[in-house]
Amino acid sequence: MSDLFAFAGTAQAGYAQPAPLLSEEETSGCIPDSMRRSAAPRWPRASEPELVRHYTWLSTRNFGIDTGFYPLGSCTMKHNPRINERIVQLPGMNDIHPLAPESHLQGLMAIFYEMQEMLEHCSGMDQVTLQPVAGAQGEFTAIRCFQEFHRSNGEESRDKVIVPDSAHGTNPASAAMCGYQIIEIPSADDGRLDLDALRAVVGPDTAAMMITNPSTLGLFEPKIAEATEIVHAAGGQMYYDGANFNAILGKTSPGLMGFDAVHYNLHKTFSQPHGGGGPGSGPIGVKSHLAQYLPKPIVVRSPDPDGLEGWWYSWEDPEQSIGKVQQWHGNAAAVVRAWAFYRRYGRDLEKMSEHAVLNANYLRHRIMNPSPEQAEKITAMPIDGAPAEVVKHEFTLSLSPVKEATGVSGKDVAKRLLDYGYMAPTLYFPQIVPECLMFEPTETESKEVLDKFADDFLAILAEPPELVTSAPHTTLVSRVDEVWAARNLVLRHPLE
Amino acid sequence: MVDHLPNLGREQEMLEAMGLSSIDDLFSDIPPSIRRDGPLDLPPPQTEEEIWADAQRLLGANVAMNSRPNFLGAGLYQNFVPTMVPMLATRGEFLTAYTPYQPEVSQGMLQAMWEFQTMVSELVGLPISNVSMYDASTAAAEALTCAVRVHNKKASQPNVIYVTEWLPEHRLSVIQNYILGSNIELRLLMTNPDGTVNLEEAGVAAGCCAVYVEQPNPFGVIDEGLPKLKGIIGEDTALIVAVNATSLGILEPPGSWGADLVVGEGQPFGIGPTGGGPIYGLFACTKEYLRQMPGRIVGQTKDEEGREAYTLTLSTREQHIRRHKATSNICSNETLIALMGAMHMALLGPGGIEWLALRNVAACEATKRAILAVEGIELLHPKASHYNEFTVKLPQSAESALQFLEERGVTGGLELATTTKGAKRDWLLISATDQTSNSDIEALAGGLSAWLRQWQWRLANE
Repeated sequence: MSDLFAFAGTAQAGYAQPAPLLSEEETSGCIPDSMRRSAAPRWPRASEPELVRHYTWLSTRNFGIDTGFYPLGSCTMKHNPRINERIVQLPGMNDIHPLAPESHLQGLMAIFYEMQEMLEHCSGMDQVTLQPVAGAQGEFTAIRCFQEFHRSNGEESRDKVIVPDSAHGTNPASAAMCGYQIIEIPSADDGRLDLDALRAVVGPDTAAMMITNPSTLGLFEPKIAEATEIVHAAGGQMYYDGANFNAILGKTSPGLMGFDAVHYNLHKTFSQPHGGGGPGSGPIGVKSHLAQYLPKPIVVRSPDPDGLEGWWYSWEDPEQSIGKVQQWHGNAAAVVRAWAFYRRYGRDLEKMSEHAVLNANYLRHRIMNPSPEQAEKITAMPIDGAPAEVVKHEFTLSLSPVKEATGVSGKDVAKRLLDYGYMAPTLYFPQIVPECLMFEPTETESKEVLDKFADDFLAILAEPPELVTSAPHTTLVSRVDEVWAARNLVLRHPLE
Repeated sequence: MVDHLPNLGREQEMLEAMGLSSIDDLFSDIPPSIRRDGPLDLPPPQTEEEIWADAQRLLGANVAMNSRPNFLGAGLYQNFVPTMVPMLATRGEFLTAYTPYQPEVSQGMLQAMWEFQTMVSELVGLPISNVSMYDASTAAAEALTCAVRVHNKKASQPNVIYVTEWLPEHRLSVIQNYILGSNIELRLLMTNPDGTVNLEEAGVAAGCCAVYVEQPNPFGVIDEGLPKLKGIIGEDTALIVAVNATSLGILEPPGSWGADLVVGEGQPFGIGPTGGGPIYGLFACTKEYLRQMPGRIVGQTKDEEGREAYTLTLSTREQHIRRHKATSNICSNETLIALMGAMHMALLGPGGIEWLALRNVAACEATKRAILAVEGIELLHPKASHYNEFTVKLPQSAESALQFLEERGVTGGLELATTTKGAKRDWLLISATDQTSNSDIEALAGGLSAWLRQWQWRLANE
């Protein structure tokens, strides 16, 4: 173990700094004695060589896409191009202040404008804001816009938001934060949206429905247009959770499906690195009737012969704006990374989705069709989380038959995959599929990786159950005791 | 030609293996009525070389803070991030990992975040820190809703919170959006003319759910009265203090003088102002708020062999489990930026953070002195102590001064009236940090004198 708080250097071991502009005598009265810190924070006493080694050591104890295949469903763990990281290190990105005059930010605003337009085009929406900094915040922002829309129509009494039971947890959480009551509707037996269940709950109190399509089962909802008609007919708004946008870009769009608002996860579809949990970026797009409520400001431009490539970019506040959801302009550098990613594909973004879907279907096919030699050794095979001819960018498998036959659970298989050098698929989500594993290979994995993964997955199903249920065996730590953590709550170093 | 698709040119082989004949077969489940007809109307793909060239050209058109004398602050500060920080934080194992839901292969980030929690806890003087919020404004907003959940039952003023006057509108607006769904009533806590909390009037907040104050306040003033506030509002009301992170190298941490929750902007540790994001919000609290707090938190534990290990804990508060009953909708946070912050804090150490704060104090004082030497410019709060920034009253509009300075290549600060309700048009917020040099200060003071001379000349000749 490397303990950050065990280094034993001086209090200033880390890095030397220049002298203050004034001497200690000259600044002696600047901080009132009563407010002066009495004891320094007990931060590490480590030098750069020690810290470089500490953090390098930590990095070797962490698994990223760069380490290996990361089929984590619903998370779109695609390759993160390194040029994007180089770009955001430019001083024109990392050393700019959001309150600087417009003339200082023309380059950033040009990129913002291009991203607004591109996202509008790809999603069939009329106006995009880049301010929300995560998918969940995008949901929250759009629901706030719906709320103001209903209010301005004198329909504040609409107090319910409908979500399918397969929805991401953020959907109901975001709507609840806006004060809405959540109506969860069950999926049909085939995992699809149940229109009768929807009809049974829509009404004059419906504010909105939130849905992702393809669903978290990886299935395209064939009756999505009917669903939007049902909700619209009742006066509700339709919200598209864009977490699964990677599946359909260029093939269809939320606009074509009839949605009023959509968020994009730039950290999924557009390759902003996930960074161990964030940052993300969750711009939203809306149809014109909602544009006046968007957070302020958005970027507009007008021709200017002296401007950047002939344009002058300015900030503009939507007329009835809900205000701010993040105090600056959102995760600007995440938008710039996404811009660099988009530029790499341009009009061929469609190919990205084609290959994401190709890879998902191929992997599903390979897993579900073992060779006779493989099949012979397997006691029980998983079944589809939901029946489907083709899936979109991800698919679910239920390990229920495996568990029944051998006692090996979905979690056991997930942990055993770690031994083979893979990240586990998403586990036990969506909750409607028992013993669910959810796979999303993304477009940046080769056929060889998918073949190897399928073979290894099938090999695990053929392994002695006790080997699987006690996995992982080769990771740096074995199964971690989550119950102990929750009971004892050691949430910081004791520094004793 | 796109270049990050390993299976380009091998589609047919893969399709045939599945018994399909074309890519279109994979999209046969999308009804024709909602299919896009025709390709995307976007430019052709670019190569890495072309993207790099365009990025340099476009971002090169921005004016970097460090490229000239710059006195903008107001919540985000010019800083120096040691080279080690971006180099190590962008190692692929950190950069390209998802949330550490599989602790067995995520010990590196989990331990780093547990260390981050420890350093934040030490910095602010409270036992618990989460793994980061989006920024200072959302941290403030979620601290308020968290405090309402904790105190509402016992509160004599249920659903009521107080925030101080003079908050910049962009921060206040985030708070207003976040509290709107919880039927919370936001009231203003009266301040003295220098923006410090009026302790005589603060009794009105006693028994409400939460009081939110900033230290230093939005004018850059260190509020010496705040340690008395908790005694006035009482045990059943949360005291939430938003801090300027680097100031805690020299200022007593709020946890030592009554704060129940501390929030703030972590940016000066770890990352440049970055156009406002990604940055990261600090969120720390006492045990009383733990089970109602938003965001992720890492706990120490052990594996089956009893080896030290780390894992996300108390997840039952979170949206992926509690859904609409979660304490917050936050899912993605700012972990990677918090990691950068942790590395920077670790490099600073206990001595380095104090030194850094002293540099900020000295730069602020040196700038203040130079500006006061310019005849005709007054401090708005001459008796107050300041950290990082102070407000001056100009004889003419701040806008005209900033424009004049801009022509001389100086970013003179912030016209407070553009962000703050009630601020006068001749108020200028000037920020100086550890990155401010003597020549920067001379440029600002010299520029302001020249601006004033120009006004006086005009007045005399009109």
